[in-house]
Amino acid sequence: MTTPRFLQIHALHSYPAALLNRDDSGLAKRMPFGGAVRTRISSQCLKRHWRVAEDEYAIHNIPDAAAAIRSRNIVEQKVMQPIREAGGIAEDVLDAVNSAFNVHVYGSGGTSESGRQPLLLGFPEVGYLQEKAAEICAAHADDAAGAKASADALFGKRQGESANFRAFRESARLPGGLEGALFGRMVTSDPAANIDAAVHVAHAFTVHPEESESDYFSVVDDLQTEDEDPGAAHIGDMELTAGLFYGYVVVDVPGLISNLEGCKAEDWESADRSLAARVVEHLAHLIATVSPGAKRGSTAPYAYADLMLIEAGKRQPRSLANAFRKPAKAQVEDATERLSCHLEKLDNAYGAAETRGVMCLEDCEIPGTPRLNLDALASWAAETVRNGEA
Amino acid sequence: MRHLILRLEAPLMAFGGETIDNYGVIRRFPAASMLTGLLANALGWRRTEAKRHQRLQDRLVFAARIDREPAGGVRLTDFQTAQLGASDMGWTTRGLPEGRAGGANTYNAPHLRYRDYFADMRVTVALRLEPVDESLTLANVAEALQEPARPLFIGRKPCLPSRPLFVAYADGKTALAALLASQPEEDSDNSNTLAAMWPAYEAVGEDDRVKTARRYMLTDQRNWVSGLHGGGRWVCEGAVCNARAGAVGESPASTAREQT
Repeated sequence: MTTPRFLQIHALHSYPAALLNRDDSGLAKRMPFGGAVRTRISSQCLKRHWRVAEDEYAIHNIPDAAAAIRSRNIVEQKVMQPIREAGGIAEDVLDAVNSAFNVHVYGSGGTSESGRQPLLLGFPEVGYLQEKAAEICAAHADDAAGAKASADALFGKRQGESANFRAFRESARLPGGLEGALFGRMVTSDPAANIDAAVHVAHAFTVHPEESESDYFSVVDDLQTEDEDPGAAHIGDMELTAGLFYGYVVVDVPGLISNLEGCKAEDWESADRSLAARVVEHLAHLIATVSPGAKRGSTAPYAYADLMLIEAGKRQPRSLANAFRKPAKAQVEDATERLSCHLEKLDNAYGAAETRGVMCLEDCEIPGTPRLNLDALASWAAETVRNGEA
Repeated sequence: MRHLILRLEAPLMAFGGETIDNYGVIRRFPAASMLTGLLANALGWRRTEAKRHQRLQDRLVFAARIDREPAGGVRLTDFQTAQLGASDMGWTTRGLPEGRAGGANTYNAPHLRYRDYFADMRVTVALRLEPVDESLTLANVAEALQEPARPLFIGRKPCLPSRPLFVAYADGKTALAALLASQPEEDSDNSNTLAAMWPAYEAVGEDDRVKTARRYMLTDQRNWVSGLHGGGRWVCEGAVCNARAGAVGESPASTAREQT
């Protein structure tokens, strides 16, 4: 038993003859590792394709994500409740500020719960609203009309504040708000408005030395008649690489819940974790089945994971990249064995404190790890988040 | 004095230097600000807690050694594209949204960015907090590194460590002495000497294990309140003996060493 504060997702994907991620000279991205150059897929590339994937497990397709969002009541529960509990503010003032904030945050329908559009308000948003509400309540402790006027002024048209709240609402609207909750959102000039990514993604790299081929091609003009110049209309070449890639993702569970539910990360265990659990389930499927979309027409680069290992625990996450520092063979069996050996070494040195599950095409023995199919693995990961226990 | 020994190792790492425009350059050694952010991240502090960060950085004393640096430290440049929109707006807590500048043509093509990384590098850091008797102790930091509040990364978000960072405590009169007490591991470089950096005021006396190459003013501290880097501190860079190979000046042949 451990607390699943971090989920570590390790995956092996095999792609024949593809050009998944290119640099500015049009060649495959690479990196040296353990004395051999490897083919690489950058984390930005991976994240983008998980974000924009349109399938059953698309982030935008999380069933009842909108309904699962509690933030329709966020003004009452998260913003006003602490001020009510602190006391010293007249009831009618609190009510006035509550309804003014609801209207300004959710729009004109904000007076009733059903009229509010679902907004994903993370901890920075909630903290900001709470600070403003507390200021207004303190300044007008016995003056409901004054408090309402102040709240209206805060969201009012002067000095660009209404534009600020438009941006505020925009960033919290689905599905963009969900993407922000997973992969972060940065406002360069204001760290207080940043959302820190809850999903950390390493660059993927081949477990073996690069396998590259320059693909020479010519283009034939089908409309060219026989008496015309018989040459090709165009000749060129592109690089193709084949690879078995190791990919690594860490989910910061308290951070994800904070971004989705607007609570402090340290309060994650008392927060509603059902949406976070759905998100994790979808993410596991996306990582296993979505491929970087490059040269789709000419290389059909679609591959499902050959292996996916998920670990839940609370110790410092560490990738298993060093399993492949000494280059492996470009075969799933060899790579799986390397991974398993490396994990065993780590367990022997540091103890086995993580709870694990693995999906694997080949026969493999990963120490203390039950074998599951992808559905079962993804729902196991989701359950650990939902139950706060692994 | 008690020090913490950390090993920074990941397939890709980045010790940020002075980023200008879209070029994210790196330095060979971790910056005081980066280590401060790394520890603060482990401790679960928020970016907005500027004073805490500042205090931690002010107390931090460290020396760093490059145990492994493939191909003499050649940098890998990652090329990225990002589609930006002229109308992208971010809300701020100041009440005014942050928008994007640039003429209409700025947004016709994707934004191009270059980010440098070191691949396959391993750096050992010896650090302590001075003075020792404040509420945040070295032991707190060591615990936080082992069970951090958030996933740790080394310089940039995708640089996820491939090992536990915390190695051990080590005693030493100076951070450099503590660093020298921690021997590089297998599959580190086996050259006679390794590059290191340490605070200049921790003067190295007669020690044949250390050769100072240069002493200079380094700007690697952040003013956590303003968010800008500034000021300077004197550091030394040089070569230290590689306990896996031999003492400075010895030829590799004269030292029997384990082959792995």
